[in-house]
Amino acid sequence: MKLLVCMKQVPDMESKFQIDGNGTWYSLEDLAWRMNEYDEYSVEQAVLIKEQLGDVDVTVLSIGSDKVKETMKKALAMGCDRGVHIDDANVFTREPYEIAGIIAEFAKDKGFDVILTGMQSQDRGSGQVGLLVAEMLDIASVSTIVSCCCTSEDVEVARELEGGIKAKIKVKLPALLTCQLGLNVPRYPTLPNIMKAKKKELLTLPGEDFLQVAPRMTTEAMFIPEKKAGGIILEGDENELADKLIAILKEKTAVL
Amino acid sequence: MEASREIYWNVGHGIVTLLPMYLLAVFGLACMAIGLLKRIKVYKTGLPMNRKDQPGKRLLCTLQTALLQKRVTSPLLPGLFHGLFFWSFLILFIGTALIVLQADFTDLFWDIKFLEGSFYKLFSLVLDLAGILAVVLLIALLVRRFVILRHSINEDREQLFMHVLMLLILVTGFLIEGFRMAVTELGTPLASWSPVGLFIATIFSGAKEQSMLLLHKFTWWIHLLLVIGFIAAIPFTKFRHIVTTASNYFFKDLGPKGKLINLDLEDENKETFGAVAVTDLAWKDILDADACTTCERCQDRCPAYNTQKPLSPMQVVSQIGDAAFTKPDQNLIDKIGKDALWSCTTCGACQEICPASIEHVRKIVDLRRSLVLMEGEFPGDEVMTAMEQTEVNGNPLGMGYAGRGDWAADLEVPTLAENPEVDALYFVGCYGSFDKRNIRVAQSFVKLCKAAGIKLAILGKEEKCCGEPMRKMGNEYLYQTLAQENIELIKSYGIKHIVTTCPHCFNTLSKDYADLGLEGVAIDHYTVFLDELIAEGSLDIAADNFSCTYHDSCYLGRHNEIYEPPRSLLQHAGASLVEMERSGSEAFCCSAGGGRIMAEEKLGERINIKRAKMAADLDTGLLVSNCPFCLTMFEDGIKGAELENKLEPKDIAEILVERVKH
Amino acid sequence: MKLLLVAEYREGKILDTYGELLGFAQKLNAESSMVLVGAADSLPSFDGKLYLADVATHGESNADVHKQVVLDVVSRENPDMVVLCHSSYGWDLAPRIAYQLKAAQVSEVVDIQDGKLVVPVCNAKLRRTLVPGSALTVATIQSGAFAAPELAGAAPRVESIEVSTDGSYTFLGYEEATEGGVDLTKADIIVSAGRGVGKADNVGLVIDLAKALGGEYAASRPVVDSEWVAHERQVGTTGQTVAPKLYIACGISGAIQHLAGMKKSDFIVAINTDRDAPIAEEADALVIADLLQFVPILTEKIQSL
Repeated sequence: MKLLVCMKQVPDMESKFQIDGNGTWYSLEDLAWRMNEYDEYSVEQAVLIKEQLGDVDVTVLSIGSDKVKETMKKALAMGCDRGVHIDDANVFTREPYEIAGIIAEFAKDKGFDVILTGMQSQDRGSGQVGLLVAEMLDIASVSTIVSCCCTSEDVEVARELEGGIKAKIKVKLPALLTCQLGLNVPRYPTLPNIMKAKKKELLTLPGEDFLQVAPRMTTEAMFIPEKKAGGIILEGDENELADKLIAILKEKTAVL
Repeated sequence: MEASREIYWNVGHGIVTLLPMYLLAVFGLACMAIGLLKRIKVYKTGLPMNRKDQPGKRLLCTLQTALLQKRVTSPLLPGLFHGLFFWSFLILFIGTALIVLQADFTDLFWDIKFLEGSFYKLFSLVLDLAGILAVVLLIALLVRRFVILRHSINEDREQLFMHVLMLLILVTGFLIEGFRMAVTELGTPLASWSPVGLFIATIFSGAKEQSMLLLHKFTWWIHLLLVIGFIAAIPFTKFRHIVTTASNYFFKDLGPKGKLINLDLEDENKETFGAVAVTDLAWKDILDADACTTCERCQDRCPAYNTQKPLSPMQVVSQIGDAAFTKPDQNLIDKIGKDALWSCTTCGACQEICPASIEHVRKIVDLRRSLVLMEGEFPGDEVMTAMEQTEVNGNPLGMGYAGRGDWAADLEVPTLAENPEVDALYFVGCYGSFDKRNIRVAQSFVKLCKAAGIKLAILGKEEKCCGEPMRKMGNEYLYQTLAQENIELIKSYGIKHIVTTCPHCFNTLSKDYADLGLEGVAIDHYTVFLDELIAEGSLDIAADNFSCTYHDSCYLGRHNEIYEPPRSLLQHAGASLVEMERSGSEAFCCSAGGGRIMAEEKLGERINIKRAKMAADLDTGLLVSNCPFCLTMFEDGIKGAELENKLEPKDIAEILVERVKH
Repeated sequence: MKLLLVAEYREGKILDTYGELLGFAQKLNAESSMVLVGAADSLPSFDGKLYLADVATHGESNADVHKQVVLDVVSRENPDMVVLCHSSYGWDLAPRIAYQLKAAQVSEVVDIQDGKLVVPVCNAKLRRTLVPGSALTVATIQSGAFAAPELAGAAPRVESIEVSTDGSYTFLGYEEATEGGVDLTKADIIVSAGRGVGKADNVGLVIDLAKALGGEYAASRPVVDSEWVAHERQVGTTGQTVAPKLYIACGISGAIQHLAGMKKSDFIVAINTDRDAPIAEEADALVIADLLQFVPILTEKIQSL
């Protein structure tokens, strides 16, 4: 059985974000990089399936500059068998459609039984890539899974809906699954596995070989949303305070 | 006639007496030797560890510690009981040895007798007094153990056996003396030099000589058998501590104090890290267990044990010993329990007080290393998150690394990248850099240096966590990664003097980093640094009277024995210092050591609340500390104990900066 | 401009989030038609055309079949934009449709500026405006970003449609929310109690406010430690890390461990007597008041909205 996990390296969300010179993306300076949180769950799920079914080979794929290899090592240390790094320094300018195109182009003739991706990335947050890959490969796909039970024939998952309800769905393999937070408990790599990961195959392939589609939209501008009010301070009579606060909540938030 | 007595009186000098006696002696010594060798074999199942360097120093230290009972007599009670008993028993041992020396060697071969005349009188008196003291102490110790402390006889059979055996040896000894004196010395001036013997002899003064002789002979053999039994029993009972504890002094950790052993992570062939079984620990760890007398002093001082957590340092040591001598393959982590292992704050109170010089903390960290490095386990998800955040941003708080120097924005402190020509590097640490409360401390320290004309620089966003909390939690890999990056950075700037405000950074940089190649850099904790600045007149503090109590952080106090400079700083500031009961080397941890700063305290009472209450009881209104972890814990603990109106926590730097003269 | 709005239906009922789709259409001043896989007994208050595929034959949860339904309607209506909610239904369906239609897809629209779609980046720390490069666009809109217009009484013109495909899903049924376990990370509104509530009995005030707002209640560490609130509701580095749309901190001074767990929230209200408490720096609105007096008044006013 062959598994593919698609993993993205993203900036830590605690970083100070600034707009780059072009005004269309965030500046890459002063950012700390990490594995997309959702992808940690997909990597863990792949390793769990491998541990459950035994004869499973897990490939982790990531697109980006050489720097993504650091994060791929973590996926290998968590238990993926091999890594494929698709070298593309301009990964940040790529729309989800292009990213999906690259992945599908790589995966199309490899015969993966299960493809796992995060439900979305922490930076772009479009939630498109996984499902687009499945459409491109013409295989079944289920998004936002919070439980997963896989056999060599099919996979039974629970999709997370709003309000805590889950929809239980079964699909035949091959299938693509996008993973929601809480699907499992991503492991902390053990030291022997970190050592082993250093010796695992990590293949770098040129990005241009796989990018065969054109983007379908462009970013016109990126900007930092209006600064938080810097703390409106409300003081005085409780009754008036409550009215003022409700007015502010109506104006500034979408919840009232 | 010169004062003396006939050795082997009544029992006979002939082969009938001596042969069985010598055979018994050989038997007793052989039992002891075989027993001890067997134990040594078990010690050797542990991993190698070099504890034979500087043998001269070690020997001297052992003699001092053992003969003067230096470690035992602190605290004075009940240490003094043991000390006095030890000394009286030592005197009796020397006395007996002198008798053997004369009777079986000097007199036998060369007709030389030295137990004569005034020396004999003194000898008799001293031995009698030592003997009676030992009897009184033994009875007192028995009463303490079984009546006052209410130990169950069933669970403490060995102790009962040991006490009673010694008591019988002493009592039979006095009886022999009494019976002999009733026949030979009663009514002579010499008798008064053996007051206890005289007392017994007087009781039996009316008895027939024949029955006295018979009783004497019988008691003499009983006494001999008891002594042989004692010697033979040494390896098989807690009597072995006479040998093992003394050996433990010889093989003790010569320091530096509070430093952990570096784990070799470069070794490609190594497949296991940390300890799971006894065989993963060092031989010294097994000897430690054998040297333990289960005196409970460690447990009495352990902050975890004192707040109803499942950790007793004594129990950990005993369990290691138990495994080593019964089931060496046993999983120690299961035996001791993960909750117990995670509860340790590495405060070192156990090691500080241990009369047998046992190293508890290293064992716990070794077992934690296995949990973290081999299983990827932590005491809770929050700790794993902190580890991951440290991997990404270089601090356990998960703050963006680029903002690490932001706290100093208005203070005109350059980074080393901006200006490497400074007097000292201020290694700020994570809490000083990111925690609002501790940023005030960092800023105070910088202002004090400015007032003293010291040019400081920081590393800013280049600085990473020193790795201490991760290391103590068992994550040696993350620690070494962080340490190597920091060391490379410090070396690249060629800086020669580093000051820290965090005792954890201080301890790590000054001791642990040496193993990873940080050399030739002077590292100071700010309390020592500022105290020197005041002494040399560069820093001028105007005393303004106030009252406070002072908390010795574990890593400045016990681990580095810096007790005076912080107090001296407080004196300069005008403090009338009221000491807590548990202060100095006996200070009670704030709960944040051992990486516990990253963990939630879910078991038992909260340690920081307990400590806050101790401080509040003194009614000074102010709890002064020297450590960002302590300050954080006290802020929390004071709220938890609802003492906000009674007690305020502050750092020394904050107190000084309020009084600095420009 | 012509929109096709994709409404949602679950467990026998249309979801009222279709109102937000109408709000989006209104903001764009666009003409709309709607498609729903549902049933005639639960229809939207919408005065346009509704294509209705019967849920009994098409299923509630079968992405392939629903995709086919929407594609079928698109071929009939020829819209400029297909709009869905950015929900578990919408974000799942949108890429499938977009791919088949060779359309650009814009995810989680929060705003329209000068006619251009604005989406969040990096947990809403940043935003960007997008220009689709295709004639037809598929868009999902962020929940709560576009207010629903007045929906009273209108009835749609219903046209039934049917597609014949089985799809790849075998739907095995729903699993209802379990009692007990609370996932605060999914809540849009969180009202949190800190030590300022004083005692266990006062936690009720915070719970009432949370209920009035339709949100979850939570607590800071000292409150959980005191066992006034269960640990599963603790916010902070040692509890759950949350980022709701609205976070109301009642009597929380703001220890760093707590701030790290909630500061990503979109809008933070702090109710505190101390204006210098660390939470003040993170708060978008700081109400300086005694929460024991203020919170009940606020709750009452919100209930009567």
